Amino acid sequence: MNISGFSNTPADSSLKSSDQAKTFILPEQCFEKNIACTWRRGNTFTIYPRSQIVNKTPTNTIDNKILNIRQEILLFTSILRKLVNESNGTFLSLQKTAENAKNSDNQVEFLKLSRQYRSIVRVCIESLQEAAEKETDSLEKNSLLSHITIFYSIECIWHLSEILFIDNIPGDIVLPFLLEWVRFHFPCHEQTAAQMLEACERGSEDHPQYWDTVVGMVVQGRIDVARALLKLHSSAELNEFKLVDNSLRTMPVYSVYGGVSSGEFTIVWKHWQAECRSKLTSQALTSQPNLELIMRLMVGEYTAFESVRRKYASWFDLLGGYVLFTRPWTRSRELAAAADACAALDGPHPQSHLDVIIRALLEGDLHQVIHEIQQMSDNGWFATHLTDILYHCGKLQILDKHQTDVTKRLRDSLILEYGSLLMEHKSLWSVGLSYLASCPPEGLRRAELLLEKIPIETEAKAMRIIAEAKKYELLGVVRTVCGCVCARRLRGGRAGGAVCWAARARSGPLCARAAHRVLRAYCAGAPLPAADLLLTAGPALLLDDTLLFLGKYCDFHRLYKSKEFKKAAKLLISLITSKIAPEYFWETLLLDTLPLLESEEPVFSSTDTYEIMLCLELRAKCLEGEKAELLRLALVRNLARTALLDGEEE
Amino acid sequence: MPLDVQGTFVSQKINKIRWIPEDYVETKCFFTGSWDDEVNSIKVWNFERINEDEDVEYPKQLSEYKVDGDVTEIKFTDKNTIAVSTSDGNVRLLEISSYNRQTPLRETFSWKKLHNFGDEQCSCTSLDTMEGDIATIGEDGNVNTLSSRTGDITRTITGADSCSLHSICFFKHNEVITGNLRGHMKIWDLRSPNNKPAASFLLAGDELAATCIIHHPTQPHYILAGSESGSLAVWDLRINSFPASLLKAHAAGVTEMQFHPENPNKLLTSSISGELWDWNMEAMTKSTKTSDNWMPLEDKNTMSVNSLMPPLHKPINTISCDKGRILCGADNEAIYLIKNFKY
Repeated sequence: MNISGFSNTPADSSLKSSDQAKTFILPEQCFEKNIACTWRRGNTFTIYPRSQIVNKTPTNTIDNKILNIRQEILLFTSILRKLVNESNGTFLSLQKTAENAKNSDNQVEFLKLSRQYRSIVRVCIESLQEAAEKETDSLEKNSLLSHITIFYSIECIWHLSEILFIDNIPGDIVLPFLLEWVRFHFPCHEQTAAQMLEACERGSEDHPQYWDTVVGMVVQGRIDVARALLKLHSSAELNEFKLVDNSLRTMPVYSVYGGVSSGEFTIVWKHWQAECRSKLTSQALTSQPNLELIMRLMVGEYTAFESVRRKYASWFDLLGGYVLFTRPWTRSRELAAAADACAALDGPHPQSHLDVIIRALLEGDLHQVIHEIQQMSDNGWFATHLTDILYHCGKLQILDKHQTDVTKRLRDSLILEYGSLLMEHKSLWSVGLSYLASCPPEGLRRAELLLEKIPIETEAKAMRIIAEAKKYELLGVVRTVCGCVCARRLRGGRAGGAVCWAARARSGPLCARAAHRVLRAYCAGAPLPAADLLLTAGPALLLDDTLLFLGKYCDFHRLYKSKEFKKAAKLLISLITSKIAPEYFWETLLLDTLPLLESEEPVFSSTDTYEIMLCLELRAKCLEGEKAELLRLALVRNLARTALLDGEEE
Repeated sequence: MPLDVQGTFVSQKINKIRWIPEDYVETKCFFTGSWDDEVNSIKVWNFERINEDEDVEYPKQLSEYKVDGDVTEIKFTDKNTIAVSTSDGNVRLLEISSYNRQTPLRETFSWKKLHNFGDEQCSCTSLDTMEGDIATIGEDGNVNTLSSRTGDITRTITGADSCSLHSICFFKHNEVITGNLRGHMKIWDLRSPNNKPAASFLLAGDELAATCIIHHPTQPHYILAGSESGSLAVWDLRINSFPASLLKAHAAGVTEMQFHPENPNKLLTSSISGELWDWNMEAMTKSTKTSDNWMPLEDKNTMSVNSLMPPLHKPINTISCDKGRILCGADNEAIYLIKNFKY
């Protein structure tokens, strides 16, 4: 069993950035010296004082403490638990779809599920925002805000991955989707534009943001909005404005279904851009520098993009526009060049984490993407789910340094890690289990180990764990859990419960243990317990001889109580002759014959009496002294009255 | 209108869910009881529209009452009072204000460690109520009856079962039926002073637990029990002993059953396998008219079963039904509201 299997996945070994150790300082000076530490369940470990030297002076006043240290798990907070549970549903549907998709191509289903994931993330962001608004404690608020940032990036990366790898874009012309992505995640100037259009006043250029907004709309590819805004300028009647408006209006837009081949479109497009360029060189726009800038953007002039870059928070804002005005026919594989160019607009800036991920995505380097998103502090939620869906879409191929395909191993290791993490939680264990179960065989072996460690407080919990274990055919777990409850019942002196759980475990030894306990208690003078159970237990009694004996012995009591002495005697004799009674019980068993021997009507035949006598002699040690004498006397007397009787019957 | 299912994630596994009955208006508020979490609680919720013009209502939490252990059962003793059992062996009587649902629940009575293994904790697994009387059962195999008016323990049947009891149903004023871990059912006459069951019989031969028992609302001699195996047994107590019929129903344990309060021919069942079914039980009542003793089960067509929502990946623990609106709570930490149910 390889519990730490994730550490030797080749994906990690090639990039050694996670080797740094972190140092945490314990809150106060807890221990004098000599401490030891041990792992507890899950991500918890305990530090405790440990001394090899026996302290002879008990005046030592340092109060020794035991410290439990636990990793704080973001996903276990109340808001994110919704995300965990909801995404689990989608994850399981995805596994089912993938199972069905083996025969048919099912890209549309995958796209639906990917959208579902994104909507789950969106809901999560919204509830985080809501909570952040309500939160008054600044520390809490900050942490909520940082969670929001994390999930914003997740949403943004997921959307782009969906466009590039999950969606089947017709003709692979990625531009409209890319523009949509930019508009959705980097909505700049959108509100200002909407306000201005709503007001619909001539002379909107008085608005301080007017030109930024117009340029913003052009860069986002919202040509119609840009034109509408330009019309609101007080001097929109000028030739310069008409010129730009005309160029914007005539911009060719490529559509796969437009009936134009991409080669033809390229020619049309180049022609249009050449026209724009000639307008620029004719100096027609020099009087209107803002319009000139728009025109320069439209011909894809790099310096123009450079000059607007500082108005945006990141280069992603410009990516759509850059592709739109340089190579609108770009296919998704060719986006890397555009990304390089846009990222270079920043100059030699240090790249943010998101930068690296987005660029890796656009370059199609999924290995790098997964490596980077593993560094996000969402406890692996994103990496696990994204890797899984990409894997099922068949878009993920990761080779290790020996060029062997390790994609499945990478996916499995991420899921196993995530599943094991959830298994620790008191409530989320069943969610974790369903993740582990989705990567057999190792997942189930891990599940087996982890399930056995779940504390069982009530029978309801035990039954639920058993139900889950049965679902995945983990019969070992079923046995362990039943055995555990059985042992607890035994300790509490609840014989009936113990027998019942032992029977559930289908375990002979456990049954024997419970039955022995009952018999010993009875020998010690306790009333025979669990009659209701033993009399109705059917095949369960066959699990063990002692239990069977107990059941039959219980039946004997029932017969005796209902005064069916003949039947009772017969049963007792069969119990004696079968010799399955435990050694310590012989005394009780033999003494039980006494009242029957003394009954008014003889109930034991002479043969029965001989049997009892034989037992009594063979087991002389069990019954000694007066009791033995008494029994012998009764036996002899019974023999006396039955010896002749039996002859008659025969 | 088609069935409309709407789920809300609540960050707690829901073990019990109950509509709070209203007099003249549509029910809006409900109780939930959680289980298997670090801290469990009984919450009061209300359905609210976020936007006035939108038809979608979202549940909003009004109050929370924290308890130790899991909430194992919630049943009403009267319109504004619930009896709650928890896995630490306690039983509480909680009252909700009828004027302001937001005010915290008020504890009117509580029976601490009603069920126990001496000093050790023992789960009170279920309870049932009948006109102010409460009958509780626990893993200790005892049956207690309590009075919600005086707060007294009126009767204790010690050692009613040698195993743990898992389900109980108050089907007559003085008679309860209990089911244990092995599917052994016993009928107790609370008037009789000795601790012997009036009758006992087995649910099925598989030795699996009886997880829930209910009686037919208009013909209380019909008793239904759900098994851990997912099957459903029906008895006619006038005949006793053997189940009139044993139906192989859900793929895994039945968690809760409820007859529709308005239409006794409709039965709802939920299960560990994540299914929520609606049964047409007309056959059961019809059989009494023809003075037939059993339900004519060979005639399977009369028993129509519908699935009310696509199966969940996690167990559905509880259902509550009011007119056309069904609530259910599940182990995926979500509650679902099903609207436009035809009854």
